Amino acid sequence: MAMNRPDVANCVVASAEQDLSKRIAIVEDEAAIRENYAAAFRREGYAVDMYDARRPAMDAFAARLPDLVVIDVNLKDEVEGGFELCRDLRSMAPELPIIFLTARDSEFDAVSGLRLGADDYLTKDISIPHLMARVAALFRRLEAMQKPQEKGSRMTRGDLELDVDRMTVRWKDHPVGLTLTEFWIVHSLARYPGHVRNRQQLMDAARAVLDDNTITSHIKRIRRKFTAIDPAFDAVETVYGMGYRWLG
Amino acid sequence: MNLRRQLLLVSLLTLVLPWAGCQFVRETESALREGQQQMLAGTAQAIADSLAQFPAEFAPRERGAMRNLDPASEPGDEIYGHPLATAPLVDGYLDDWGLAAQSLIELPAASASLGVGVYRQSVYLYIDVHDSNVVYAAPGSDKARSADSIELVTTDENGSSPLIYRFAPEAPGNLVATLAGDGNPDETRISAYWLDTVAGYRLEARVPRQLLRGRLGLVINSTDSPDARGMRTRSFRGDTPGRLVTLSPLLQSVAAGYVQPDLRLTVTDRAGWRLAQVGAFASGDDAAPGIAAGWMRIAYNALLDTGEEADLADPDPSGREQQEYVQQALGGEMASSWFRSEDRGRAIVAVAQPVWSGNVQTGAVILQQGTDAILSLRNQALTRLMNFTLIATLLVAAGLLGYASWMSLRIRRLSSAAERALDDKRVQPELPSAGAGDEIGDLSRSFSSVLRRLGEYNEYLRTLASKLSHEMRTPLTIVTSSLENLEHEPLSAESAMYTERAREGTARLHRILSAMSEASRVEELIGQAETEVFDLDAVLSSTVTAYADAWPLRQFTYLSDSTNAKMEGSPELVIQMLDKLVDNAVGFSSDGDEIVIRLRRDNGGYTLSVTNPGPPLPERMRSQLFDSLVSVRSGDTGKHLGLGLFIARLIVTGHGGSITAFDVESGVTFEVRFPPSSE
Repeated sequence: MAMNRPDVANCVVASAEQDLSKRIAIVEDEAAIRENYAAAFRREGYAVDMYDARRPAMDAFAARLPDLVVIDVNLKDEVEGGFELCRDLRSMAPELPIIFLTARDSEFDAVSGLRLGADDYLTKDISIPHLMARVAALFRRLEAMQKPQEKGSRMTRGDLELDVDRMTVRWKDHPVGLTLTEFWIVHSLARYPGHVRNRQQLMDAARAVLDDNTITSHIKRIRRKFTAIDPAFDAVETVYGMGYRWLG
Repeated sequence: MNLRRQLLLVSLLTLVLPWAGCQFVRETESALREGQQQMLAGTAQAIADSLAQFPAEFAPRERGAMRNLDPASEPGDEIYGHPLATAPLVDGYLDDWGLAAQSLIELPAASASLGVGVYRQSVYLYIDVHDSNVVYAAPGSDKARSADSIELVTTDENGSSPLIYRFAPEAPGNLVATLAGDGNPDETRISAYWLDTVAGYRLEARVPRQLLRGRLGLVINSTDSPDARGMRTRSFRGDTPGRLVTLSPLLQSVAAGYVQPDLRLTVTDRAGWRLAQVGAFASGDDAAPGIAAGWMRIAYNALLDTGEEADLADPDPSGREQQEYVQQALGGEMASSWFRSEDRGRAIVAVAQPVWSGNVQTGAVILQQGTDAILSLRNQALTRLMNFTLIATLLVAAGLLGYASWMSLRIRRLSSAAERALDDKRVQPELPSAGAGDEIGDLSRSFSSVLRRLGEYNEYLRTLASKLSHEMRTPLTIVTSSLENLEHEPLSAESAMYTERAREGTARLHRILSAMSEASRVEELIGQAETEVFDLDAVLSSTVTAYADAWPLRQFTYLSDSTNAKMEGSPELVIQMLDKLVDNAVGFSSDGDEIVIRLRRDNGGYTLSVTNPGPPLPERMRSQLFDSLVSVRSGDTGKHLGLGLFIARLIVTGHGGSITAFDVESGVTFEVRFPPSSE
């Protein structure tokens, strides 16, 4: 379970005030957004490194990896810059939390299809509180991964097994790679099987403002990920006009 | 009136051809006829001039000198002695006379018919009397009074020296006439026969010519009983009997010198009585083919001058020519006429010429000639003309009709292609006739350029929304994130208020952006469509139930005629489309209104309709209702960008269907048609 965490030592070295302060890297070419996000992160007590292009970011990461990276997919100088960065990061640190920022939620499918292994995809207009919630959740998960598993944190519904702390999902004992948003949605559905969750509730669970089409595509992706493991999966039922529910 | 009917009407102008042809035939025919009439008139004039030297023949026989006879002084009293072909038997029967029934003179006062015929030197009498009570004379009685009898009265030209021959039988059969006078001697030179008939009696007598004078009359004496006085009826008015008119042998032989084949010559006196008649027409059965029956005859009669029936050209049976053209000649003017008989295929040209002696008209000459030639020419010409012009009219009409059909086909094709292109709103429409050199080609090219510009503009509009939203997203994010950060700074109460307002403003901007990008999102979704087979009815019914909660101030009614409505597509998109339509319906109706959603199976596909009460569709924007950024709401324009129906249409066309909107009674219906699935 021990991971190669060179940054832990670096963290201590870097910040005297808060030796446990996490380091967050933002790779975003739009200066105003970058600065705003950075200010918000700092307010939360994180240390922030900012980069506006892939290359300087990569050089810095090669020297020292951050604790979490927020990448804007559309970096102006390179079209595929964000994807490449993510790929390189993953090869360096498989467990490093990576959040993708995309301009349109329609790119989610494309991004997801690339299987770059990012932990979550968000649109740039996500509100800062929501972003903070995600970052916090990701860090929590990281800690939970390091600790031994606690029984109480598991939720079982039939073939579904949810680990709330680690934010992992298993179906018929196979791991299912869900993003953070998708995990929250599945958790919200499966908590009360048979109850219909309407869009508002799903939106709250996903900690984002999502329009109907985005929810629909999230559900579609969730189903696809489960069906990849179990072709007979049909636990997520669409109740037309009302919402979705978990059939357990 | 469409093109075809218009050109058909124009082709009716070709009917001018047969009309012109008929005019031509008519002119030709009358020219020919006039020519013949003039020729005939010339001949008649020559004959009349030669007859001028015989004035005595026209006047009464008794006087050597000519008399100026005014027919008006003795109207109707003349007796015509018809020329007989053979000597009839004096037996009381008329059939051996060879006369037509119309030749008899009627005496209605005595219920009698009188006929007089001349054969050589004898004058034959025939009287048929209707008498219910025939009284025969008693032998030896005064025959003048007490029995049914007939008296023959003859005087000379000025009415003097009358002779009266009496026929008073004692019994039917041969009888002897008596001359009224001293002792009533028998006149044995007269042979007579008295026939008793069912209706009365008949008397036939032969009287030698020399016993009669210039005037002749009859008196019929009828009694009912031997003792009573009889009733006397005269064949003449006044005291003087009428003239006896017979053929003039001299005139007859003179006229015979002019006879020609197919020519009939008649000479009449001043009153129109026939004095001579020679010549006859050739039989015309095969000479001139008649016109076919039926419609040709009708057209023939309608188009051409028909003349008079040929029968009227025949000699008048009464002995007196009464035709109008003859009357005109008797009045002193040359006149002509013509007759035709379709049955016999004959046409007759007639000319009547007055005969003058000095400066006094003595009579008239009538010349009649058969004109087979003209008639056959006319018939054949007319038939051919009719055939040709009919064919010509039909050909022209067919040609024009065909051309009109082809042109209207081209125009209609262009029109429907333009409409299709209008619906598709493609940028490069392909219209038919684009290469044609005529006006339709020009029209097609104009259409193409208009449609192309329209397509480009629509393309621009379509992407406008998504481009705008994309461009605005980043600045909006900057504003939102800045505000969010601002809220964490210490703010005065006012600053906090302003920040809050700014936040609300950006939230609205967000919503607008989402709405604007929704359209392009839907397009992408449609493009990546993962279709599944779902039950449309189930989806709709559960969705409609949800609407009732979403809009409590409206009533929702769902009607469906099919429970297992399998359809291939994306149910989420279909619901999204229905959301847009229902949103529209709610927006245009009022609180408490009922919105009806109906699903109908329709030839394998489905028809889904959403009906709401409310104002009718706007006239102006009707064709652009489903276009991007078109909003016709009058009120609360802030919320509605005009994309709802556009998105609905995107989804419908993505499913291969069609969407229309139309007014219904006090409301509007949006109707979506999904085609049958391919499976």
